[in-house]
Parts: sequence; structure tokens; C-alpha cells
Amino acid sequence: MENSDSSEQGGSEQSDTQRRRQLDRLDREEAFYQFVNNLSEEDYRLMRDNNLLGTPGEITEEELLSRLQQIKDGPEQPATNESRSEEAPGPEGQEEGSNGDSLLDWLNTVRRTGNTTRSGHRGNQSWRAVSRTNPNSGDFRFSLEINVNRNIAEQQAQNEEAEQREGEEPVSLGPEPEPEPEPEPEPETPMETADVVEEPVVEELAVIVEPEEPEPPRSETASITQDFSFQTQAAPPPRPEDVVRRAQPYTAQPFSFQTQPLPPPRLEDPSRRGQRRARSRSPEQRRTRARSERSRSPLGPSPESLPEAVVEGSSRTRQHVLSRQSTAEFDAQPGGAGAGEAAEVAAAAAAAAAAAAADPRVVPSQEGEPPAGEGGAAGRRPPTIMLDLQVRRVRPGEYRQRDSIASRTRSRSQTANNTFLYESERGGFRRTFSRSERAGVRTYVSTIRIPIRRISDAGLSEATSMALQSMIRQIMTGFGELSYFMDSDSDSSDSNRGPNPPPPEQAEPLHNPETVAAAAAAAAASASGGLAPESGDSRTEERGVEGGTPPRAGPRGPISLEEPGSLPFLRLAHFFLLNDDEDDQPRGLTKEQIDNLSTRNFGESDALKTCSVCITEYAQGNKLRKLPCSHEYHVHCIDRWLSENSTCPICRRAVLVSANRESVV
Amino acid sequence: MQRNTRLKRELQMLSTEPPPGISCWQTEGRIDDLRAQIVGGENTPYEGGLFSLEIKVPERYPFEPPKMRFLTPIYHPNIDNAGRICLDALKLPPKGAWKPSLNISTVLSSIQLLMAEPNPDDPLMADISSEYKYNKPVYLEKARRWTEKHAVQQNQSLEDAEDKTQGKQDKVLSAGRKREALGSLEPQDNSKKTCL
Repeated sequence: MENSDSSEQGGSEQSDTQRRRQLDRLDREEAFYQFVNNLSEEDYRLMRDNNLLGTPGEITEEELLSRLQQIKDGPEQPATNESRSEEAPGPEGQEEGSNGDSLLDWLNTVRRTGNTTRSGHRGNQSWRAVSRTNPNSGDFRFSLEINVNRNIAEQQAQNEEAEQREGEEPVSLGPEPEPEPEPEPEPETPMETADVVEEPVVEELAVIVEPEEPEPPRSETASITQDFSFQTQAAPPPRPEDVVRRAQPYTAQPFSFQTQPLPPPRLEDPSRRGQRRARSRSPEQRRTRARSERSRSPLGPSPESLPEAVVEGSSRTRQHVLSRQSTAEFDAQPGGAGAGEAAEVAAAAAAAAAAAAADPRVVPSQEGEPPAGEGGAAGRRPPTIMLDLQVRRVRPGEYRQRDSIASRTRSRSQTANNTFLYESERGGFRRTFSRSERAGVRTYVSTIRIPIRRISDAGLSEATSMALQSMIRQIMTGFGELSYFMDSDSDSSDSNRGPNPPPPEQAEPLHNPETVAAAAAAAAASASGGLAPESGDSRTEERGVEGGTPPRAGPRGPISLEEPGSLPFLRLAHFFLLNDDEDDQPRGLTKEQIDNLSTRNFGESDALKTCSVCITEYAQGNKLRKLPCSHEYHVHCIDRWLSENSTCPICRRAVLVSANRESVV
Repeated sequence: MQRNTRLKRELQMLSTEPPPGISCWQTEGRIDDLRAQIVGGENTPYEGGLFSLEIKVPERYPFEPPKMRFLTPIYHPNIDNAGRICLDALKLPPKGAWKPSLNISTVLSSIQLLMAEPNPDDPLMADISSEYKYNKPVYLEKARRWTEKHAVQQNQSLEDAEDKTQGKQDKVLSAGRKREALGSLEPQDNSKKTCL
């Protein structure tokens, strides 16, 4: 693209530079092919799957090498904010207040370009969004992390206070997340499950919100937290494969939460923290809140974590919210309304909410003040909220076996892993809601499957699309409610109200305010119109406000989180769902299927010397992939085409027909 | 972006060895916005006309087909009033037949072929199509009149205007009308069942 711009201008020096640039580019291309050829099969796959290869001629070999190194060194740590942001092709978001639109725009560019990071900060808030797209597989993962920090000094004071209190009332701890969340470091192995289904029919959209909230010790007058840091973070392991972006269908993995690798534990190093913290919030903002004293925490915090919490004060341990069991459970749930033709929107609101729920004293405030706020209140450990957006297309048949269990509302509980599942079907949408508890963290997962197929095929029946839209709105609204996590503690003075009234949009009768234990959960639940879980220990309680501490008046962060649905990234759901109106999405091959096609290195003696995808001649040592029809292409060229299509670019023969035997598991 | 590398090559090929009767160039240095002209083929009602097309190259090209549209009004069963063209090669599978081994040049040739051989069984303009099928003389007459009216004289001015705005070096106009050269094109298995 650089070169093209100047092509119209006639000047000779221009054409000189242009020529030079072209030469450079050729050199880089050469180097690129060299590089790709020297990669081992494994490395190549790794890089391809993580979309690190880029385009021939646009990246230097060194860059490629460093990327490879990086990816091999383990999951890219999301924390490497600075370094990653270099990759961002999009606007480097230093600008304040990212509004949804710009984020969306950015996303629009990002979804095709791969890994990007965008970050920015204002005042005491900093945010960072990371997205990874793998054009080959169509996987997409987006994560956003927001940190809000207050004054250090205050924090310290608070800490002291808190410590004191803790000393006095250690018992009152809310569920404490175990310090070492299950780390799940594994990201190297591609997650593919053997679940390869023939052709994808459906789109699946999963929006997973995992608020995570270590609930710090609480005492009667717990001061509400200072270092309220909010982290919304998508499951960090960088493996895009886990998520599939809608526009580019198909991975072989069944939709599941299990694909959600857990965030590598701590993203932040202390120094950074300090620095963040330095951005302070005015001390007034801290509030104290009287709480009713019921300090029974059913999900006992692990003892060790307790002390640690005290000591470390601000260390944030991130805990995995979604337990595998729940995942599995969830996954096992019945298929969408229409045989596999359903879009699935899953909202999982977890831990934080869960934690809060566990703590009897938590009362949802009127605004739907989420426990997260309270977690924050606990102050010692900032709550962590992760937002993970995963989008992927459901393959037909994926849920087929389970379809039989449709249209019923049922629930079941497995004591083994403490998983509860509620499910209902209404108006053609299937919703499931599951809850599980583990290590004091409760996980809520709510899923909606929307039969998109129906819509696109049947030619947009007005009703259905309306329903779909309202569904989406609900979801987004539900998530928007998360914003209350952040917001709520400021308004907690009026939090001494009863149960959380349902958000305006959500008219779901089923919504059970009582269970709002976790706002997130509630949000998810309400979004899905799902059933609120009856959590035995969740209580609605009155929370007294102590003292006339004024509500936090401080300016809100750059990302306006106030109104429901305002979390900009939540519009992603919308973005993905509605952007995909092309109903005739081509069907591609899965990575396994592609990988099973033979490759070889180019040798001079070969007859066909040009790759017809890039119209570039093969160079010695180029790695070629040969389709069953004997046509050959550069691996990187054909892989990309095959990820969305299943025919040979030259003769149009189906690649799979003959490849099927070997490649389909 | 493979697109740019590839487009550059394509433009180069288009300028060095353009298909007969076809020319294509980029507008104002924008590589994703091209213009093309197709000379109306001999023994077709479009003879003597020069038809301009707009070509938008999507970001994901060549994994997605280029978007092409007639700027010059044309009376044709498979081309609508907005200039949209019903051609399988312009659509992605499974409905369409786009494949990355096609390129701007081959697609333009296909369009040229389509002009000479309308496909009334997959019409975009139903009335023109039935006219073509059942009352060919009328179709021919109308098509000729449209060509006369839009593609001949107006074309002159269009061309002039473009000459002014365009850098010259990218503009290649080959007026050759040798349709037999089309024979060398890739086999066109046009089962153009893609419209309506």
C-alpha cells in the first residue's frame, strides 16, 4: 500500500524511492518465504494459528523471529502492554474516552488484521484492549481490561484500617478466592477437540463475562474500597483458536467454556501497580458502609488465602471463575432450538458475583449494585472482572444428539461439582443457565442460542429478527449492568434497598431478584431471561449506610460505564451478530483438515511455478501445499483460502471429498 | 495484506498485456478503487460503445471477489439499472464462483463475454431477459439504442474527463477488439445461476 500511493506522481525522485521501496519489499518477501520455509511444521502452525505471519513483504524477518520467540515463550502475556501495542495497526488508542464507535471501528479493522492491542488511560483509569484474530481459522478473541485506581495513600490508610478490622473479625471474610487460581498455563496445545463436524450451519456467539472478584475480608463497617481496580479481561491465553469469529467460521471445537483458558495469573507486576495507583482518586470518594453483620460465608475462603490477602493488600490474584466442570456441564447442554442451527450467546457471569453471592451480607442495591462493588469495597484485593468475547460458529450436528432434550425447563444438580443447571426454551430461543461452585467461587453461565439460520434462510421474518434484536439488547444490557460493578460503590449510599430491580429492558418474569447475589450473575441471568439460580445462601439484606459519607463524586473514567449497555465493547455482540448478514457464508475447512493436506518444498524442476493465489512465482524452498486435485499453492496462501472455502482455487474441486478419509477424524 | 502485492502485479499485467478490448487503471493512486473500460464487442448490440466500470477491491482480496459495476448504462438481461452485474465469478462460493486464481483481468473478460452472450436464464432484469428470449429483435434494437445514447457519445466526454484526472501512466487503453483472444481464457464454466 505504501508504494501505491506515490504511483501517480510523476517525479523521478519519487519513482526512485518507489523503486527502492519495492526492492526492499521484494527483499522482505524473499526473507519471508525463507523464514516460512525454515519453520518447522509445528512452528509454522503455531504462527499461523496465532496469526503471526502477516503478509509477505510487510514484516521483516527479525520481526517474525521475535514473534515466534514470543509465542513460543509461552502465552503472550497480556501484561506486555507496551510491546504489544506496537503491533496495533489501528489507531493507537491513547485518546481519552474511547467511545463505542471508535472501538467498533477499530474492531472492524482489527478483526481482519489479527493481533492488536490498544490501550490508553485517563486520570486514574487505564484500559487496554487486546484482540486476536486468526484469519486462517476465523477465531477471534477480544479482551478488555480496565483498571481504576485510587490514591495510594488512601489505599494504605485503608489497608491499615482493613487490617485492623480483619484482625478483629477475620471470620467475616467473604469467599476468598484461592490465591493461586488455577493457572492453566497450557496454551501451547491447540485446543481442538476432536469434535469435527461436517459443515457448519450455524453461528454461535458467545459472550462470556467473568467478573472475578476476590472478596476481601469484610467487617461491619467495611470501608469501601479504594483501589478499586476493575479488570475486564478476556481470557488471556493468546490462542485465538479458542474463539471463533463469526465472520469466519469454523473451528473444530465445540463451543465451550472450556476453551477458555484461564488467564495467566497475575498480569501486573508490582511496579506497575504502584504506578497505577498513583493516579489517585480523591479520598472523599471512599465510603464506608455499614453492613449487616451476618458473617457467615458458606463458601469458606481458603484459610491460607486469608492471611495473604491481608499481607498483600493489593495483590490481585486472579482466579479462574469458570470451573471446568461447569463448563463441561454447560457444554453438554442441549442443542439449540433448531438442530444445530442456532446462534449461541452465552453470557457467563461469574465469580465476583458468585463470591458476593456467597457472602450473605451482600445486598444488591437498587441499581443492581453488584457485589463486585463490594468486593472492591473490601478493598484489599481489587476485584477482577474479565470480559471475554468469543464468537464462533456452531457446526451442524454439534448439538444434535442433545436436541431431544429441548423445550423443557429443568434443573439438576450435581453434588459432585456443585453444578446446577437450569434450562428453558421460549420463543424459539434456548436459554440455559448454569451455576457451579468451586473453591468458594461461584460461576454463572448463561447461554442463549439463537437460530440465526432461521432468520437468514427464511428471509428475515420480521418477528424473528425483532426477537433476535431484543435478545441482543438484553444481553448487552445485561452486561451493561456490569458497569454497575464499577459504578455502584459510589452510589452505595442508596444501596440499602432491597433486591435488585430488574433493568428496564428486561421484562423477563423469571428474573428472580433475590438471587441477584451477584449482579453479574443477575445480569447474565436477566440478559438471558434465564432463570435465576436459587442460591440457598444468597440473601437479600439491608445494608445500612454508615455515616454521611458522600457518594463518590469523582469523575468517571474514560470509558463511560454508567449507563447499562454502555460498556462499549459489549456492542461487540451486536457487531458480530448483525454484521453477519451474508447468509451464504462459504464453508471452510478446519485446521486439522487443512493440516492433513500434504505439503512439500518447491524444487526448481517443478512445472507450475506460480502460486495462483498471490500470483507470485515460487522461490526455491517455498513450502507448498498440494490439494487432492494436485494443484499447489503457497501454504500460507492456500491455508487462508481453505479456512473459508473448501474448493480448489484453480479447478474448484472440493478439497475434502477426496481428503475426507484421512483428514476427518 | 496480500491484496496490495497482488494488485500491483495485476495492474502491471493489465498494463503490459491487457485482454483485448479491455483496459483497467487505478484512480487517483488508490489501489483499491479501479476503473475499467470494455469495448463493446463486434456483432453485438454494444458494438461501437465504450463501457466504463467501477471496480472496488475489498480488503480481503483475493480471498473475496472484486466488486464491479457498470458506470455506463447498458441494456442487458444480467445488468441492472444501477450497473450491478449478475455474474457468478463476482460472488463467493457456495453461490458464486469466485476463486483466488481468478483476477481482475479474467473477471473483466468474463463480463465482456457476458455482454456478448447474455444469460437469460439467470436474469437480473426480468423484462429484458424475456425480451431477449422471445423477442430478440426488439432487445437488439433497444440495446443498440442504449449503446448509442450512453456508451458512444457520452463516453467521449467521460474518457476526456478521466484523462484529465488520471495519471497517464496507469491508464492503458487497448482498443483491440479481437474477440477470438477470449478463447485463450480459462474455461468459463459459467453456470450463472446466481441472481434472483
